[in-house]
Amino acid sequence: MRDNYKGYLFILPAFLMLVLILGFPAVAAVLQSFNLMWVSKPAFTVGAYQALAQDPEFLRSLLNTVLFVTVVVSSHLAIGLGVALLLNMDIRFKWLWRVVAILPWTMPDVIGGLVWRFMFDTLPGIVNSLLLRTGLSTEPIDWLGRPDLAFAAVMLAESWRGYPYAMLILLAGLQAIPRQQYEAAELDGCSAFQKFLYVTMPNLKHMFIIALVLDTIWESRLFGMVYSMTGGGPGYSTQILTLLSYKQYFQFFNISYGAAMAVVLATVLFFISLPYLRMSMRQRI
Amino acid sequence: MRKPASVWIFIYGALAVMFVYNLLPFFWMVISSFKSEMEATLFPATLLPDVFTTEAYEKMWLQEGFLLYFKNSLIVSLSTAVLSSLVGIFAGYGFSRFRFRGRLTLMTLFLATQMIPGVLLVGPYFKMLTIFNMYDTLSGLILAQTSITLPFSVWMIKGYMDTVPIEIDQAAEVDGASRLQTMFLCIVPLVLPGLVATMIFAFLLSWGDLLWALCLISDPNKQTMTLGVTQLVGQFRVFWSEIMAATVIASVIPATLYLLLQRYLVQGFTEAAVKE
Repeated sequence: MRDNYKGYLFILPAFLMLVLILGFPAVAAVLQSFNLMWVSKPAFTVGAYQALAQDPEFLRSLLNTVLFVTVVVSSHLAIGLGVALLLNMDIRFKWLWRVVAILPWTMPDVIGGLVWRFMFDTLPGIVNSLLLRTGLSTEPIDWLGRPDLAFAAVMLAESWRGYPYAMLILLAGLQAIPRQQYEAAELDGCSAFQKFLYVTMPNLKHMFIIALVLDTIWESRLFGMVYSMTGGGPGYSTQILTLLSYKQYFQFFNISYGAAMAVVLATVLFFISLPYLRMSMRQRI
Repeated sequence: MRKPASVWIFIYGALAVMFVYNLLPFFWMVISSFKSEMEATLFPATLLPDVFTTEAYEKMWLQEGFLLYFKNSLIVSLSTAVLSSLVGIFAGYGFSRFRFRGRLTLMTLFLATQMIPGVLLVGPYFKMLTIFNMYDTLSGLILAQTSITLPFSVWMIKGYMDTVPIEIDQAAEVDGASRLQTMFLCIVPLVLPGLVATMIFAFLLSWGDLLWALCLISDPNKQTMTLGVTQLVGQFRVFWSEIMAATVIASVIPATLYLLLQRYLVQGFTEAAVKE
């Protein structure tokens, strides 16, 4: 059709909204991090970034974020792949298993944080109660009060809540694999494991990358669960970048400092999402 | 292909493990919400309430203003869902039906906005709202959440519209319909299930948000559900049975929506996120 220019008009409202509400604040945040916007005397400085490099709390949060995202995303992919393989088989009551498999993801992360906080509560929590009742432990463990255990508990909670997302993407990938490939492999005498290795995995690679990138971005942006489960404590032990940036900006009013942190996070996420964006440019998603 | 019995035992065993793993937190949440305030503090905890009571729910609804939070959350999430789908229909149609210069770049740009972390945006956006006198209003919050859900909505709706044959547009054009008429009268009715899925997804994203509500709302009467629940913990001694009642209430709507529409949602979601 000849009226292709009209396409711009259809996209205009959405485009304007994104420029105004996402684009402008993003630019403003960068300017704020250099002390150039909404200050009485704008003067370019990289002071906020220099301070970041020497701030142990920031470096700890950065390390925490990397560790958290690595562990949580790996567990999501592992559990997600396992459950996706199960759901892709000829099992009975498939819809029921599928519903149960998606359920954790339906819980808002803030709410999930609260539920897990109660589960790990020292006295009336179910974890300690079960440990005591089964005789595995004789006295209550202060899960969320000890730095190492608190970090592990938060990672466990988010591993639980977020994996159905990766599972759904991988399941879609599994269902798209042509049956003929498996039949051909069987004719060649492949075992079940060989079929998995030589048919399933290569076909799944594309989806795997998508799940990896998208989940990494989701988990790096996570805020509500840590906020409600530990608030970053004890000490800085479960502090992640989003939480620290929020605190600096909205609680301590270190505007350019909080903004600089968010800029660092956004830059990292941009590079992580590049393979995904490249797929989009090649029309592969 | 037939599998030996031992393989099936392993498969159903693994499914059973998944079942327990996924449901344990839900079980604990629901069970605890029906305990009395006293019983919820016992150690070791009772696995089933000795006395079933709904007192936590009654307190929640009547005393803590949760009716208001619930209403606010509904207003914000519904408006977000409607607005982002409405704007999304236009953009989705534009991307699906027109071949203009820079189309792919623009689509990728839309996708890229999803990668921006909220903490980067919320500070300057807060400042913008105070300048326009919209801080501490539900409309300011709705506007923010709409822009966050918008890119996803556009991609989902575009994916659904791509499945409708272009011949329908051509037939409508021959009949003298304008582009707008074609879109609303011919295409939208055909992608209605997908549109519903898109709206539900936007609704759920908005319903689960904490960061934006936390930074943009200070009036207790305008708090959303998620914000209200977190404030409950900090305020006084932790009353777990009440908090669990609140979390049950906050999880019921998303869980129900997912379960009712899971087929559409899963289909639409995977189509938008991944297309071979």
